[in-house]
Amino acid sequence: MDPNELERFEAVVLPHLDAAYTLARYLTHDDHAAEDVVQDAALRAVKYFSGFRGTSGADGRAWLLTIVRNTAYSALRSAPTQGVAAEVFDEEQHSASGADEDPSVDFDRQETRDRLRDALAQLPAEFREVIVLREIQDLSYQEISDITAVPVGTVMSRLSRARQRLKRELVRAGKEPVR
Amino acid sequence: MTDSQFDVRLRGAIREQMPALAAPDTLRQRVRAAVRDAASESRRPRFMTARVKRWLALAASLAVVTSGGWWLGVSRATATALADQVLASHVRSLMPGHLTDVLSSDQHTVKPWFNGKIDYSPPVPDFAGQGFPLIGGRLDYVGGRPVAALVYGRRQHIINVFLWPVSAGSRAGEGGGSASRSRQGYHELHWTSGDYTYWVASDLALPELEQFAELVRRG
Repeated sequence: MDPNELERFEAVVLPHLDAAYTLARYLTHDDHAAEDVVQDAALRAVKYFSGFRGTSGADGRAWLLTIVRNTAYSALRSAPTQGVAAEVFDEEQHSASGADEDPSVDFDRQETRDRLRDALAQLPAEFREVIVLREIQDLSYQEISDITAVPVGTVMSRLSRARQRLKRELVRAGKEPVR
Repeated sequence: MTDSQFDVRLRGAIREQMPALAAPDTLRQRVRAAVRDAASESRRPRFMTARVKRWLALAASLAVVTSGGWWLGVSRATATALADQVLASHVRSLMPGHLTDVLSSDQHTVKPWFNGKIDYSPPVPDFAGQGFPLIGGRLDYVGGRPVAALVYGRRQHIINVFLWPVSAGSRAGEGGGSASRSRQGYHELHWTSGDYTYWVASDLALPELEQFAELVRRG
């Protein structure tokens, strides 16, 4: 890579290390693993940078996140004890409730927040990643579709299923007596 | 609460429970160094490994530019050779995966880690309160002996502190001496105090590095 390319790389890709780290951290659940994923991803990005045609900062972010995501999944596959999304999301079980129930949930209740945090952590990775990309990083459906390599329609249905699952957890929390 | 109100509140709660994170400064530093490393490797011919070539280049440039004489109490040649080794070790430590053997900001983890690896137990102060957090420690090889290297951070910058006991024979000669030099964008500070010889290397601006050295001197 010549010095001009390196300069362009540092300007277009490196500003998105926070976004990269956020995605890696929520996919791996581990500080050190997340750092390794980001570093590996950055090195892969250097290697493939000549093929990157984007111009804007947003292009650089989506491109880097694509590589981070792929790196995270390969890292998780090779990790001996951790499996990603081994749990199959059981739609039959989860889609019935939630939408129909009265969504009066006290978001200020500690119980609610704890349950939401746990539910987010336990979402299967393909749901968790769309939540991270959409709710935290504010990416468009199209960008998420590019990053996760699934059609826009699938992105939207995953998002709504993820939200529904969270809703169900919260409604359940609301029905439990306060300890 | 209507469904759409609920969605808005859910969204807010998700953001609160799953906040955007900031990449740690040490990670930024690592990535930046690794990227530059990889970028320069990719345009070198492959008949020697990139790392060997870099070592040869570094050694050659040091051999040409070495000069010295600020080093009090030690012979010029010895001091220059040591300074070169310290610089080389510092540069090598910045290459991916070489910075620390024990990664901990806890001085009570880093200090005992050296037990059984070297024949002294180096003082390991933490200056996080002064803006120089301890990052970890490493075993290095300088001046013909294994030595303790302590790693500190300052924003994006890495500081290496090499220290080893002053040998009984040379103590009179080395005592109290201090010196500095700058090479290839890195600064090195050297002094002996108490029972230890210190070498500090970093790309940090010299005034800040001297501020750090003063903290180390006071322990």
